[in-house]
Amino acid sequence: MSSVLVRLGRQVVLVPLVALASYFLMAALPLTSDDEAKRQVSPEVLASYRRDLGLGEPLGFLRPWQKLWRGERLGTSAQGVTGDELAWKLSGSVGVGLVALGLALGWALGFALLRARWRRSRLSLVTDMLPAAAFGTPVFIPALLFAPEVVERGHLLPEACAALVISVWPGIFLGTLVADALDTELARDYVRTALGKGLSPRAVLWRHVLPNVLPALLDAVGPVATALLAGSFAAERVFGLPYFGQLYVLAVLQKQVAVVVVATTVFASLLVGVGLVVESVRFLVDPRAREAAS
Amino acid sequence: MRAARIPKRAWVGLGLLVGLGLASWLAGRVFPEALAHTCPLGRDPTHPDRTVCELAFGGLWVSLVIGLAAGGVSTAVGLGVAMAARAAGGFVEHQILRAVDAFFALPDVLVVMVLQLAGQSLLDAGQAGGLGPFGLMVVSLALVGWAGPARMFRNRLATLEGQEFVAASRALGAGRWHLLRLHLWPALRPFVLAVFLSRLPTAILTESTVSFFGIARMEPMSLGRYLGTSYAALIYEGGSRVVLPAWGLLVLLVLGASLASQALGAGTRRA
Repeated sequence: MSSVLVRLGRQVVLVPLVALASYFLMAALPLTSDDEAKRQVSPEVLASYRRDLGLGEPLGFLRPWQKLWRGERLGTSAQGVTGDELAWKLSGSVGVGLVALGLALGWALGFALLRARWRRSRLSLVTDMLPAAAFGTPVFIPALLFAPEVVERGHLLPEACAALVISVWPGIFLGTLVADALDTELARDYVRTALGKGLSPRAVLWRHVLPNVLPALLDAVGPVATALLAGSFAAERVFGLPYFGQLYVLAVLQKQVAVVVVATTVFASLLVGVGLVVESVRFLVDPRAREAAS
Repeated sequence: MRAARIPKRAWVGLGLLVGLGLASWLAGRVFPEALAHTCPLGRDPTHPDRTVCELAFGGLWVSLVIGLAAGGVSTAVGLGVAMAARAAGGFVEHQILRAVDAFFALPDVLVVMVLQLAGQSLLDAGQAGGLGPFGLMVVSLALVGWAGPARMFRNRLATLEGQEFVAASRALGAGRWHLLRLHLWPALRPFVLAVFLSRLPTAILTESTVSFFGIARMEPMSLGRYLGTSYAALIYEGGSRVVLPAWGLLVLLVLGASLASQALGAGTRRA
């Protein structure tokens, strides 16, 4: 149990580390105040950034969080964000990500079944090439192809489309993992023994094989969560969804450094939260994890 | 020890990469006027002075060079960190690996966006140490991309150092440098190539995504920046002729690198 707590502690400690690293990186930036260049900031905005970051104040790195806690706006008035708005935007992105996760599991199951069915036929080439094609397609490409229907003509729900386009790569990735794990498990002696003793293939699959495949699936949840959240940045940008990804991209483009610090830390916290949930689920469903911990 | 045979799939991937590299170099650099006059896809409505072929093949060349440079630097840094960790051993190696794992958990796109923001602020203030947008992008991609190779090289080195031929060489009095030069490096070389090729698609995709957002100021435009500045063409009739060629080239580029790295990686694991 103590080893599990140590692992969890190591993950949680990453959040303040990310907060401090991003704060000091942003605080060290020479934000020039020359109005001539398109991307540089005006003296007023520069002063506002310095106030946001609490530069020159004791414990200045707490300043952005203090402002959020008090309900004040972080960043310049037009493009800044309050704590409530940040929570709303984050919930929008997480909602899209959760729908995408459901879709990705559907893609994964379909892909794994297709790969198992086509394993010894010429069609196996399709299931071999599909992961490479899916991996080689950045999320913004399918989003662009849907964009005219969604943005211009308003035919499809932007959130549903965003979830659909960001679910494809994680779905194929999970499907490949599940298919590989299924292949390995189905070739093991215990499966042959169970079938030899008269258990139906369905019972062998559900009762014996799938519980052994689940840990492999849990290992992939971390990278998949990162892919879904990073993918949502591109999808939100293309479909014009006003959620967390859009906030982050705009904050970087407009050099809203205090918003970047807060958003980076929130993103890291979210990933750590996913990691904690995965570890808890693993502890519940995988007896090997419980044995290793005791 | 007989050299391992290179799998057919790796040749296909390498051929695709070399073919795309040659095509982009010839079309974009050596004979650019040929594309300007004969492009069947016509001009890009958002860049009326250029044809779609010029922009797509020019972008392909930039994306490929960025991928190669960033992949090369990340692989070299990863190899250096892995060798340092193995040389130190014990507690120091353990701590280095924990730091590597923490870096590996960071999402590439997000970190590159922050690094680009930092790099461009330094560039605007004239403190970027002579780096332009291209150099900044390569450094940003290398900074997020070294952790994966470092982990892989460290594990591979640990496996190789446990082999009997290394133990025999040590027993005969071989020093660390002799072991590395004559025994470990020849065994590690194909793996280094596989890891380098595996970094290539990741670097290209990350750069494309960040450039698509308009955060990186790549000039001449990479495929990602080209798509980011041209996607408004989709609202016009037949606008997909602008987006699809660049997408196709991006997919082929990543497909070539993925095929080669997967096949070489599987080959070295078996060897």
